[in-house]
Amino acid sequence: MQVADKRHITVGIFIFIGLLIFVIGIFTLGSQKKAFGERVTVSVVFDDIEGLKTGGNVWFSGVKVGTIKKIEFHGGSQVLVSMNIQEEAQQYIHKDATATLSSDGLIGNRIVEISGGSPKAPIIQDGDRIQANRTLSTDEIMATFQENNKNLVAITGDFRQLSSNLVAGKGAAGALLSDEGMARDLKSTIANLNATTQAADRMMMDLNRFARTLNTKGGLADQLLTDTAVFARLRSSVNELQQASRSASAMAANLNAASAKLNQSDNPAGVLLNDQQSAERVKQILINLEKSSHNLNEDLKALQSNFLFRGYFKKKREQAAEQE
Amino acid sequence: MNNKSEQSPVDHKTVKAPGKLARMFLSLYDVGQFVTRFFKEGFLPPYEGRELINQCYNIGYRSLLLISTTGLITGMVFTKQSRPSLAEFGATSWLPSLVAIALLRTLAPLLTGLIAAGKVGSSIGAELGSMRVTEQIDAMEVSATNPFKFLVSTRVLAATITIPILTFYTALVGMLGAFLNVTVNEGTTMEAFVQDSLESITFLDIIASTVKAVIFGFTIGMVGCYQGYNSSKGTEGVGKAANSSVVIAMFLIFLEEVISVQFFALFRTT
Repeated sequence: MQVADKRHITVGIFIFIGLLIFVIGIFTLGSQKKAFGERVTVSVVFDDIEGLKTGGNVWFSGVKVGTIKKIEFHGGSQVLVSMNIQEEAQQYIHKDATATLSSDGLIGNRIVEISGGSPKAPIIQDGDRIQANRTLSTDEIMATFQENNKNLVAITGDFRQLSSNLVAGKGAAGALLSDEGMARDLKSTIANLNATTQAADRMMMDLNRFARTLNTKGGLADQLLTDTAVFARLRSSVNELQQASRSASAMAANLNAASAKLNQSDNPAGVLLNDQQSAERVKQILINLEKSSHNLNEDLKALQSNFLFRGYFKKKREQAAEQE
Repeated sequence: MNNKSEQSPVDHKTVKAPGKLARMFLSLYDVGQFVTRFFKEGFLPPYEGRELINQCYNIGYRSLLLISTTGLITGMVFTKQSRPSLAEFGATSWLPSLVAIALLRTLAPLLTGLIAAGKVGSSIGAELGSMRVTEQIDAMEVSATNPFKFLVSTRVLAATITIPILTFYTALVGMLGAFLNVTVNEGTTMEAFVQDSLESITFLDIIASTVKAVIFGFTIGMVGCYQGYNSSKGTEGVGKAANSSVVIAMFLIFLEEVISVQFFALFRTT
């Protein structure tokens, strides 16, 4: 092989490899950018795109599915963003999906993130417009922070006043902290409370023991609670007792009425008990009766000695003596 | 036509003694003539194919080792030096992307251009200068060979073809150097490195780099040839031709870099 031929081959290889690097670079970049695949164009309208640029990425579920194709003003002050979506990702994005402005890192580039979409809705088509999902801008977040800061200042101010009151012994809490008498009272109250709780504790133990006894099998309470026959008998006894008490109550009422009548003078017993005049008269009658009976007794004795009746009495005495 | 063009620089210097400003405009006119002549004669038959391949070998292949080594070192050093700044806010994972942008957009064509201006520009200037001084060019004219076509067109074309090729090599080797540095320090895999570095690169970057490399190659060839072809007689003229080839080519490369950055920025969206 001649030197010139060798040189030609070397130059050929040199240029071939150089061009190969170029072509491989272009194709690798092409596959990275998915530049050679089929695409569909989908648009979305934002109020504020926060620095989104053409060529920026479009993500769906965290996967890059396309790029921003065009950004233009729309309507009043809104911005129409056209996106190229790869055809292979199209089948996963539904018409009710929403687009959100996001960034691919804390300080990364602005991206559009497509999310949501129910499987029931049809798949997006070329030229479709999807809904924009408004997110909180940094300014709005800062405004909320500012509000929080103000609240914090107010709260710390209150705390400051509270603590100074506490130190100065103002108010109930302050007095509690600074008044020794109150502290002593509190201490004794707590001691009392302690004693009370101990007593309560003991009582609870007693009650517990009592309840255990009540629960003993065959005991009175247990039978009362568990034996239905005993309960039925008890119930009838109580009923009878109730009836008896009702009768007693009626009797007492009658007695009451009778005694009330005794106090009045419109009936014989009442007159006998209450009328002085009648009493005097009864007394007189009784005296007269006594006198009369005495006289009658004498008359009868005289009669026994009379001959007409002497025989009869004699016969009677003899019969009595025979019986003895 | 050939005679007129070739005699013109001699005429300006001998007939009159014009002022500095006038001389500058005259030399600009000469350059214009030279460039026009290249476009007129370079693409017309008969083609000097064999000589073109020879020049591609000399200009391109022979610079490959030097430029590859420089590219490898540049990639490694640039990555190493960029790391502390990114590490300051925990963004060393952006190193591949940063190096890729720097290398593919600017460093690869600029570095290749500057090194080629030093190596190739000076050799073209010296070679053609000594040929002019030793009257080999005049001899070629006498022997009915077109010296412009054989000497200038082949060299300018070879430079215009091989400098972009060298730029691709530089970019590849530079990225390889960056990858070596990144994989040793961050443990990044080749796949992740390629993914990350291409993430921020666009087709426009590659096209812009290629276009720049073509312009740089053309500039280096053209400046070297012009300086050598028009060198004044004497050995001093050869040295001067070689020297000014390098200086002017480098200056023009920077000028073109600035202009091309502005030009391609018009097409950039990010």
